[in-house]
Formats: sequence, C-alpha cells, structure tokens
Amino acid sequence: MAFYLKVLEITCLQTIFVLGAYLMTGLTGLFSLGQGGFVLIGAYTAAVAYLKFHLAFPVAIALAILVGSVVGFLIGIPTLRLHRDYFLLVTFGFGEMVRAALLHLAQLTGGALGIAGIPQLVGLPMILISIAVITFFIANLKRSRFGRNCIAIRDDELAASLMGIHVYGYKMRVFVLSSAITSYGGALYAFVLMFIEPNLFNWLESAKLIVITFVGGINSITGAIISSVIYYSFGEFFRFIDVWRDVLLAVAVLLVTIFRSQGIFGSWEFSLRRILRRRTKAT
Amino acid sequence: MSTVLQQLFNGISIGGVYALEAVGFGIIFNILKFSNFSHGGVVAICAYFGYFISKYFYQNFFVTLVITTVAGGFIGVIVEKLIFRPIRLKGAPLTLLLVNSITAAMLVQQFFAATLGDDYYPYPPMMKQTGLNLWTVTVSKTYVLMFAITAAVLILLTYVLKKTKIGIALRAASTDIRTPSLMGIDIDFVVSFAFFIAGVLGGITGYLLGMTYSVDPFIGSQILKGIIAAIIGGIGSLGGGCIAGLLLGGVESLLIAEIGASLTQIVIYSAIFVLLLIRPEGIAGKRVIAKA
Amino acid sequence: MMDVLRVVDIKKNFGGVNAVDGFAMVQAKDEITGIIGPNGAGKTTVFNLITGVYPVDFGKIWFGDRDITALPSHRITALGIARTFQNIRLFRNLTVLENLKIAYGIRIRYTLWEEMVRYPTVGRSEKEGEDLAKNYLSYFGLEKYAGSFPYNLPYGLQRRLELARALMASPKLLLLDEPGAGLNPREIRQLMETILHIQTDNHLSIIVVEHHMELVMAICTTIHVLNFGKKIAQGKPEEIQHNDAVLQAYLGDKV
Repeated sequence: MAFYLKVLEITCLQTIFVLGAYLMTGLTGLFSLGQGGFVLIGAYTAAVAYLKFHLAFPVAIALAILVGSVVGFLIGIPTLRLHRDYFLLVTFGFGEMVRAALLHLAQLTGGALGIAGIPQLVGLPMILISIAVITFFIANLKRSRFGRNCIAIRDDELAASLMGIHVYGYKMRVFVLSSAITSYGGALYAFVLMFIEPNLFNWLESAKLIVITFVGGINSITGAIISSVIYYSFGEFFRFIDVWRDVLLAVAVLLVTIFRSQGIFGSWEFSLRRILRRRTKAT
Repeated sequence: MSTVLQQLFNGISIGGVYALEAVGFGIIFNILKFSNFSHGGVVAICAYFGYFISKYFYQNFFVTLVITTVAGGFIGVIVEKLIFRPIRLKGAPLTLLLVNSITAAMLVQQFFAATLGDDYYPYPPMMKQTGLNLWTVTVSKTYVLMFAITAAVLILLTYVLKKTKIGIALRAASTDIRTPSLMGIDIDFVVSFAFFIAGVLGGITGYLLGMTYSVDPFIGSQILKGIIAAIIGGIGSLGGGCIAGLLLGGVESLLIAEIGASLTQIVIYSAIFVLLLIRPEGIAGKRVIAKA
Repeated sequence: MMDVLRVVDIKKNFGGVNAVDGFAMVQAKDEITGIIGPNGAGKTTVFNLITGVYPVDFGKIWFGDRDITALPSHRITALGIARTFQNIRLFRNLTVLENLKIAYGIRIRYTLWEEMVRYPTVGRSEKEGEDLAKNYLSYFGLEKYAGSFPYNLPYGLQRRLELARALMASPKLLLLDEPGAGLNPREIRQLMETILHIQTDNHLSIIVVEHHMELVMAICTTIHVLNFGKKIAQGKPEEIQHNDAVLQAYLGDKV
C-alpha cells in the first residue's frame, strides 16, 4: 500500500513539472531543456534552507519559489530574445550549469553525494491540492487575454507584435511563472523523495516533459495532465520495464506526431461548466 | 609547458570530433531549418555498430571505420524516412520536426540502455603502440588518428559541397528549399542526401568516440557538445561550427586540467551565455530579419 | 488640424539594395490614400517601416504629434495604427472569434493576478471584448464562423477576417496591404464599398497598398506612386492615370 502511495505521489509531482512545461512549450511555444535546472534549484533551496539553516517548512518552500523565480528572470533576460533553437540549447546549458554548480559547491550541497535525510513533510493531499490550484491558475490564464496572446506568439510572433502584444514581456512572464511552478514542484519533490542529488533531473527528463506535452496536445491542459499521469504511473507500476517505458513512450509519441499531429487530445479541455450545464438541462 | 601542449593537442583532437558533430548537425539545420537531435541517436547507433563489427568480425581499424561510416550514412537515411519524412510531407511545422528528433534521440538512448544495459563497452585494441613521440610531447595515437581523420573528412566534405552537383544542390536548398527542383533534382533526394552525409559524419563521430571513450547508452548525449559548437559558430555556418568545435575542445581540455570538470562546465556555459547576449547569431551566423 | 501621419524622407537599405530611398508623405484625417507601384517598388517595406517591423536607416515618422520612428511594433499598434498583411497572417490555432479578441487586447485593463484567479473584472472585460467581436463578425458576415479556425475559411472570408481583426484594435490609422489580392472582380467591388463604409463609420484614416487599379482609383483621394523605392508621382487619381512617369514605370520605355 505504501508503495502505491509513493507511486501516486511521484506521478502527481511529475505532473506539476509537466504543467510548468505546458505553460512554456504548449501555450507559448518556448522549448526549454532547462526545466530540470529549476527542479534542482527548488529542491536544493528548500532542503538546504530546512536542514542547514533550520528555517520553517513553509518558509523553505516559499524561498524555493522565490529563488526559482528570480533565477528564471535573470536567465530570461538574455535568452528570451534568442531564436528558438538557440533558446533550446542555452536552456540546456543552464540545466547543465546548475548541475555543475551543485556538484562544485559540495560544502553546501553535498556535491555528488547529494543531501539525504530530508523528512517526509509532503503527502499526497498537499500535492493534489497543489495540482488543483496550479491547474486553476493556468486554465484561467489560458482562457483570457494571457492565453490568447501566448498562443498568438506561438503561432506568429511578428503578427502578434503588430497586434499590440509585447512579445518579449509575455515570454518573460511565462518563463518566470513556469520557473516558479517548477521550483515549487522541486521543493515538494525534496520532501517526498527524502533524498536529492544533482542527477535527479537532467536534460532528458526535461525533454520528456516537452514530449509528454506534445502527446497530450499542446492546446489542451487536460491532455497534458492525463498524458503525464499515464506515463509516470505506468513507469512506476511497471518498474521492471522501466527503461522500456521510455522506449514505448518514444514510439507512442512518434506515432502520434505522424498520425495525429495535434496530439491525442487536440484542443479538447475538460470543462466543469459543460458537465453542470448538461445536468441542469436534463433536469 | 609540455603538459599544456599535450592538453591542447588532446583538446583539439576532441575538438575535431565536436567539429564533426557541429557540421553533421548544421547540415540538417541549414536545409530543413530545425535542430536535429536525432543526430545523437545516429552517433550512438554507429558507436555500438562499430563496436560489434570490430569485436566480432574484423579487427582492422580502417576497415571497420569505413564500414561503420557507410552504415552511418544509411542509418541516417533510414532515420529520415521513418521519422521525418512522414510528417514533413504533411507540412509539419518545424516544432514538430524538433519534437520528433528529440523523441528519436530518447528512443535510441533508452533502447540501448534497455537492451545492453548501462555497461561500458570498450572497443578492442586495434593497434600495437598507442603512444607516439612528437617533439616533446607524447601524443596518443588515437588522438592523432582522430585529428587526421576529422581533417580529411572535412576537406572531402568541402570538396563535395563545392564541386559536385549534388553538393551544390544541397547548398542551394539551404537558401531556398525549392531551388534544387529548378536544377532538375528531386528535393526529396537532396534531403535524403543531406541525411546521408550527416549520417556518415555521425558514423565517424560514433566510431571515434567509441574508440576513444568506449560505448555506453549515453554516448549520444555527447552530441550536445557539438551542437553547442554549432551554436557558438553560428547555426548556418558550417565553417564557423568547425572552428567553434576546435576551440571548444581545446579550451575545455585546458580548463579541465586547470580547474576541474564541474567548474569548467560552469565557465564554458557562462561564456556562451555572454557571447549570445552580445552576438545572438553566433560568431559566424547571419542576422535573420523576419518579413511582414 | 494635425495630420494623422507624417513620413519624412525615410530610407531603408537591405544588403546593398535601396528598398526605400527617401519616401515622404502626409496623411490627413479621414483621408483614404493609395500607394501603388510595380512589384518590388518598396510599398510593403514602407508599411513595415511605419509599423516598426524594420528600423529606418534614415528619416522620421510622426503619428499625430508623436515621433514613432524608433518605437517597437506593439507600442505603435497601441497608439492607434493597425494593419493587414500581403500574405494573410491569421493565428491558425485560435478560433475566428479569438483572432478578433487578440486585437482587442490593448484595450483590456485587467492585470495578471486578476486573470489567474478570474476576478470579476476579467469576466466583464472578456464580455465587452466578445460583444465587440461579435458585432464585427456580423458586420462582415462571419457570424457562423465564430468557432471555426481561420484557415478552414474560404480565402475571401479570411481577408475579411483580417480586416475585422485590424478594426478590433480601434485604430485611428488603418494600413491595408494589398487587400484585394486574390479576389475576383465582384469581391473587389464589395471590398471597395466595405472600405468606404468602415472609413465613414469609424472616422478612420486609411492607406492602401494595391495593384488593383480600379480599387485604388475609385476610393483614394490621393495616390503616391513608388518605383525602385522612390516616389515618382503623387496626386489625384485622374492626374496619376495620365502621368507619363507612372505609365513608363508600369509599361516600360516603349510606350
């Protein structure tokens, strides 16, 4: 039973990372291989704040979000002006830099040995509530001006700017929000896994986030969440085929892009309103 | 002093491999305008292929190298036909090509991890004497070979691109993908040819990397160094990518000797950040202006 | 009465070619002006310079009493200049209705935080934008396409949608880049009436780049003729029609 609980916790945590990636890649079309960097920043900031500086748990989490957002802002300044492919690689570089920095500052971070003995202060309820809140935020953004502008930027940056959209400003907002969400997830991660090390989330894991977003359908938050849940829980439950899981994911994605390029869920979104409306109509 | 020279020489030899990766990556980028991450997968496949050929079939260095190289070319074309052509023909946006290439790289890496495990597979020893004495430095024969082969390949490639009809068609397609058809050459053929060349380069890269470092599933990720070189050199300029690759190799080698591996990473990536801040198109790249 | 737009001697060079070589014009309020010229004359480049797509190499552009020469595109649009494009640039992943709402974005006042929690102001603002968009949809006869995606529409309707979208930005100056491209004669006549109507209904100033002579001659009060980036003639439609330099530019020397 405890095993299944752990699987669920990790699956849901990964979903937080997917949501962060959805905001960047799905909505706005920014491809970042550096999300892992923010996971690590969130995890290590929270863990070090709690264990070494004895800050209260909520403070440690808040600090993780703050540091993540600030780093996101600083990294965003030079990189968001870059061409998409350059951005992809610079964010990869950022991820690697974070790993290298963590390895180097061994005094603080334990270097390659990582940090162990983090107490389990985060349980499934907290994770689920977090997902609900984050989804609430992102869904609201998607259906208002923010979401439309991001999709416009993704479709045609030039036309977007000629419609009055400050492209650079929007990209920065998305980047900082995404870093905040990802760092928050990272912080929670530390208190669920109870052990963190620099290889926790490398560029390949960041790439998986992008790939999962595409499978689900870049125009569907629901799709991203469902794809994420299926992928990560599948892998955890079938541990013995762990590496094959990734092979299967890759094959699945290739099939989806070839035969259903808008993603499995296309633009479909789960809508509470639609369900309630159907109920009231029936009565 | 001789150690510095030694480091430098080793670094430049590795830099040659980075240059090969950068060019292999850059050729596809020039023609199809997307970042082809699957190049890493091709490199990995060839590295394993070269290992098996040399271990079980034939031990001669040059023969196995040639076989692997040719195989690489064909693997490149297969990748193109399986992974990119279906969506390209449907008019897929560049982002989809990018996603597919990342997926393919992931597929290859995890496939090898699943089937052959995380073990390192060292290439069988193929030459008797591994050291060469050159003036005051003792250079590894493998590094010399690596450098020589890389140089030869790049010179050959330049010839192909400048003097052969298909090479010129390839360069024409980089400016505008429709021009080869005006020359009477089928554009699909040009694209396949581009992947063939990239595959050949990937084959050599895989073989050299495998021979120098031994093969493991993550060898494909080494390609990222080459991609970084391609960026610094300015995606779009193959010559720039070459030079950047050599530079990267040399600098990296010297830095690692001085300040250690992890700090080197930080320094190099920071330098790249700064460079792209000042010059977003890379050293030799061109500024692209969007037209309304 | 302040001019809506004043372009003073703008120049733009691309890799050695003078795309625009000292172009100047003045646009008065409520005027419909035309810019014509052979292909490659630099007409779209002029629009791109005015709307900030490229920086000018030389010269100045005034919108009302503001110098907009060095402003970025989104600021220029926010100040009141909207445009359509030679090659239709609708947002393919947004519905027809959402494409319209995009241009309304500059009028929206709610903040990011309010958006994230869906504060009541957001709902109200969205409704206003939606009502305005629906108005324009019926004005252009596009109501039944509200939920469709733009590239599923027939070409003529796509052009109308682009026009509607530009109007959603509540501009004072409207730049139309070859609005008649690809339209048949009946659609051209409809376009003529549409442009005249939106000009009077919205008190707009309009500049049209066009190749369809009947359109330009019928609705423009002033016409500027460009060739090789330079203005070779300016005047009323009748004057332009009989101008030797213009005929030569279009038909060549053996006239």
